[in-house]
Amino acid sequence: MNSIFNDPGFWHRLQFGFTIVYHYLFPQLTMGLAWFLVYWKWRALRTGDEKYNQAVRFWAKIFGLNFAVGVVTGIPMEFQFGTNWADFSKYAGGVIGQTLAMEGMFAFFLESAFVGALIWGEKRLSPRGHFAAAIAVALGSWMSGYFILVTNSFMQHPVGYQIEPNGSLGIASMSAYLFNPWAFVQFTHNQLAAVVTGSFVVAAIGAFYALRGLHPVQARLYLRAGTFVGLIASLLVAFPTGDAQAKMVGHHQPVTLAAMEGKFEGGPMAGVNLIGQPNVAAQRLDNPIEVPGALSFLAYGHFGSFVHGLNDFPKDAWPDNIELLYYSFHIMITLGTLFIVLMGFATLQNLRGRLESSRLLLWVLMLAFPYPYIANTLGWMTAELGRQPWLIYGLFHTRDGYSKVVSDGDAIFTLIGFTGLYFVIGLLFLGLTGREIGKGPKEPAGASIISKPEREAVLV
Amino acid sequence: MIAIWYAVVSFMLIVYIVLDGRNFGAGMLQWFVARTPEERRQVIAAIGPLWTWHEVWLLGFGGTLIAIFPRLMASAFAGYYLALFLILWCLILRGISLEVGGHINDRLWQGYWDFIFVCSNFLLAILFGAAAGNVARGVPLNADGNFSMAFFTDFNVRGHVGLLDWYTVSIAILAAVILGAHGATYLTLKTDGSVHDRSEKLAKYLWIAAVPLSVVVLVESRIVRPDLPGRALSNPFWWLGLIVTAVSIIALISGLVGKLERRAFLGSNFLIFGSLATGAVAIFPVMLHSTLATENSLTAYSVACSPSTLRFAGLWWPVGFALAVLYFVFISRRYTGKVSVQRDTQGFY
Repeated sequence: MNSIFNDPGFWHRLQFGFTIVYHYLFPQLTMGLAWFLVYWKWRALRTGDEKYNQAVRFWAKIFGLNFAVGVVTGIPMEFQFGTNWADFSKYAGGVIGQTLAMEGMFAFFLESAFVGALIWGEKRLSPRGHFAAAIAVALGSWMSGYFILVTNSFMQHPVGYQIEPNGSLGIASMSAYLFNPWAFVQFTHNQLAAVVTGSFVVAAIGAFYALRGLHPVQARLYLRAGTFVGLIASLLVAFPTGDAQAKMVGHHQPVTLAAMEGKFEGGPMAGVNLIGQPNVAAQRLDNPIEVPGALSFLAYGHFGSFVHGLNDFPKDAWPDNIELLYYSFHIMITLGTLFIVLMGFATLQNLRGRLESSRLLLWVLMLAFPYPYIANTLGWMTAELGRQPWLIYGLFHTRDGYSKVVSDGDAIFTLIGFTGLYFVIGLLFLGLTGREIGKGPKEPAGASIISKPEREAVLV
Repeated sequence: MIAIWYAVVSFMLIVYIVLDGRNFGAGMLQWFVARTPEERRQVIAAIGPLWTWHEVWLLGFGGTLIAIFPRLMASAFAGYYLALFLILWCLILRGISLEVGGHINDRLWQGYWDFIFVCSNFLLAILFGAAAGNVARGVPLNADGNFSMAFFTDFNVRGHVGLLDWYTVSIAILAAVILGAHGATYLTLKTDGSVHDRSEKLAKYLWIAAVPLSVVVLVESRIVRPDLPGRALSNPFWWLGLIVTAVSIIALISGLVGKLERRAFLGSNFLIFGSLATGAVAIFPVMLHSTLATENSLTAYSVACSPSTLRFAGLWWPVGFALAVLYFVFISRRYTGKVSVQRDTQGFY
């Protein structure tokens, strides 16, 4: 069939995919963590309890590292629209460029103007000012998520556009474009998934300190906040947002839903496959274990509903990597279910007062933090592989979008460059984050805190 | 309408260069102005809290460019492919070295990251300078409005040119000197002690060095693009840019001589702003000049998106810009005055 190596845009796709997956490892934590910082700062203001300020100082350092790597790995993303996807930008830049620019001007400007105040500025700002900086950073990071998801939603489900006389796309309706129903569903699903990542990381570090018997007050704070928020967010990621997302795909991209489920033959009473391996050559699912009727129910609301199979569609409309799409989707669902179980159990133990005494649970919580990153990544792979072979669904093929003037060799060269650079950044990031975690939240030392009159002297 | 958007997009790029230029300059001079770890931390503290705020202006510019002039973005970015990735990688290394350098208090560690920091900032100044030279000189655009360019060809400025030739290299050198001077002027304002004294001295030398280089570049520009000043002479904005530049030069000189650090720094900012704006007005409406055939050039009118899309952008851009001005006011009030290593370093808690 169509091997991916026959795809002339392969190297451009690989480079964009690699750099965006890597980039998104960092914002998903900052978006989740931002509201923890706001909450703790608010508690510190309300109660005057120094432990909350200590938590904010510690997590602001982790946040700062993530933010910096997020910024430096994010800039190449926007530029690759021009360098690697010139024909796509030429065709759709008038539309998608709007939200890319709005992300810069509304979200990044806000976030970056105040992140310095959040991380560096406690001694320069009043407590209220510092709280306001935390809110500004959280809002900025979530707004940036929204604008990017509007951009992506346009590629998944184009609305509000018109075709201009020169054949390119332009904006027809600003509100239709900005309030794409797809964007609303995808935004809630994606942001809650970022909160899952944030809460797993918070809980994992709490568990680490609890297991080592370090910083007991902070450990309890992180564990409780992390597991409780983790449970709520994991539940909401699955229902209603994940469910709504799948219904949206079933409605607007039925061939994608069929591929995600590895369903070659359509029919009523379509099942959900818990296990199975798609065999595209033989057009069947090997080793399936199926819950009959579940897919019909989940996607269309009735067990008897007809669900299309891949064979109901012409082959050139099939996503071009069905196996990867199927595994991405299924592993994401499995992980999401496990998150609910783990955080539900941890919250239960917390209510019974046994959270910190159960060493096995603490071990699991400590080691569980990579999995939300995996689930987030797989969710995005599901979205983007499922969209294929379209770059803008139904309008513009992926194979038409890459830069024809850039040779494969140049693309491979820059891909290798990114691989090397990002490997080094990864090492540095892990090493330095590990150091900060090792140092831990510090008790406030009198000497390092500037006294109130001194602080007011620097406030102009 | 298109002219206004041309001004907006140029404005965002120029603001980025003015804002981040001080970091390029201060960064590449770090070896020369800071000798002890304490002094090193002064330089970092002068840049540290604000570099992301400066760098996102590049993102604001990039986004606005795709939104308003999608065909220019597509043609230029794909054509400058490797050069652009060099810039991106230098930006990554610059940010990383700034962030990780302060995390471990070890001479070897900091020395290594200082090396990366100085080199990447220097290269960025050179690369942005060469990019400006390329815009002024033009690129080998074919009839489809596309080009693909080697790093250098025969070092000539006509026909199948490369990224580097005698003209773009001299602009790159001028850019490095001016941004270095800009950074030194900034450090003079923000630091005290020996870093301040060394920066003050360097600023003078570099600004003096910029004078003959600017004259050379102006003469070269006349040779490379004899067609250029023609239209500009009748454009009031060109004269306005010239006046801004002239006033800035006076402010800069009087600030440097009279040790009025704020005035000198303002002069330095507006000098860069004014001269780049004058250049942007001079090439209008051509955004990318073709060295192969003039009719292949991409003008603002031929690469802009449709009027309805521009109307949409006209709704959100002023709001975003007004907010940016608010943040700017907040920042300039918060971060006013000399930096203090005790208060503003990364070992902050």
